[in-house]
Amino acid sequence: MNAEVCDQCGKCPSACPVTARIEGFNPRQIIAKVSLGKEEELMKSGVIWTCTSCLKCRERCPEEISPYDVILELRREAISEGFEHPASYDEAEKAVTETGVVQQPQPVRTRSRDRKDRVALGLPPAQKPKDQAKYTQAIKELKEAAD
Amino acid sequence: MKVAFFPGCTAQADQIGYEASVRAIMPKLGVELAEMEGAACCGYPPYSSVSEAAWFYSSARDMAIAEGMGLPLFTLCNGCHLSFTETKHALAKDSVLKAKINEKLTREGLHYEGKAELLHVFELLHDKLGKEKIAAAVIKPLTGFRFGAHPGCHSIRPSSLGRPDDSENPHKLDDLINWTGAQAVEYPGKVDCCGSSLASVSGKTVMEIAGDKLKTVKGLALDGLVTTCPFCFKVYDNRQRAIAAAVGDRTLEVPVFYYTQLLGLAMGIGQERLGLELNQSPVDPVLARIGGA
Repeated sequence: MNAEVCDQCGKCPSACPVTARIEGFNPRQIIAKVSLGKEEELMKSGVIWTCTSCLKCRERCPEEISPYDVILELRREAISEGFEHPASYDEAEKAVTETGVVQQPQPVRTRSRDRKDRVALGLPPAQKPKDQAKYTQAIKELKEAAD
Repeated sequence: MKVAFFPGCTAQADQIGYEASVRAIMPKLGVELAEMEGAACCGYPPYSSVSEAAWFYSSARDMAIAEGMGLPLFTLCNGCHLSFTETKHALAKDSVLKAKINEKLTREGLHYEGKAELLHVFELLHDKLGKEKIAAAVIKPLTGFRFGAHPGCHSIRPSSLGRPDDSENPHKLDDLINWTGAQAVEYPGKVDCCGSSLASVSGKTVMEIAGDKLKTVKGLALDGLVTTCPFCFKVYDNRQRAIAAAVGDRTLEVPVFYYTQLLGLAMGIGQERLGLELNQSPVDPVLARIGGA
């Protein structure tokens, strides 16, 4: 994070789809707080979870700071330090670690309220790890080493 | 040409109409889709906010499978394509992490060097096949139809990593639409986000963000919105009725298509093979006009 070089120019909040809609979410202010060492305040407030990851802030920042990447880093820190975060992140992580994919194939609704699955559409079986235990083990080891 | 085919979690589990349309058109365009046995999640949404090492491992692992097949990795999802790109850049700079990841990959008989070329839908259809091959496959031109292109954030940003299309003025999806005989129409907010990744945090915000684009497309009286990203499609198509209710406009009806479905129709492929019965937005009037054309 090189938040201290931020000029506070305001290009990021003017590009951000969330700043105009969710009170308290402003990438420029997030960078300002990080440069003042107030990461814990950001992690506690929950504000870091409302970024859509649209990357406009990263694209338009003249100092190449990327508020988006700062937010991702804060999220990782918040989760590893046990701050409150949306349950969906734990659920998605658990699903991938245990099954290799975010979600299992399921029958999908048609416009006429029927249901079709992969077989009905003539699709081959969905991709997944051949040796799930090895995939899960590797993920667990890498996560532990980073903690 | 032959490619290693990576539909990605969302397309293969939930957006199966998209995968069906891709499998229907590619052989007719001379593209052979080789199955990637043992592929897993690209790692991006579930791991990027949790563990960078786990993210890069899952992503490098898929690229290692394509590398082993000696083929370019063709993916349907903007998010997956960005995930692979980020990983490639990160591991090119961090040889220690790359070695650590390779140590784990060896257990599955895999090795990552970063050699596999990545192919987004725009890159395969627009850059590799190009106008001549696409236009030659069109037997029922979609003349008279006007569509708005929605490339989706991760196909165009961040430009510092090299993306499939320009960050501020993308045109490849527009070109692809034009090559079917239809007309792509510029509209305000083309490079804007669909809001999808906030679904589990603030559904209301997603509806507002997506509602803005649907209102623009409706206001211009376009025949529909066209995308290639399964996340964007899930919002604009699958959630359209909820969006209309949330923004208080029950008349907000916009047909939404995967580009590969439109191209398939122009190639004379039957609706069923293109998964069109799974579109939830009001596509029937458009389909009726194409059918009768």
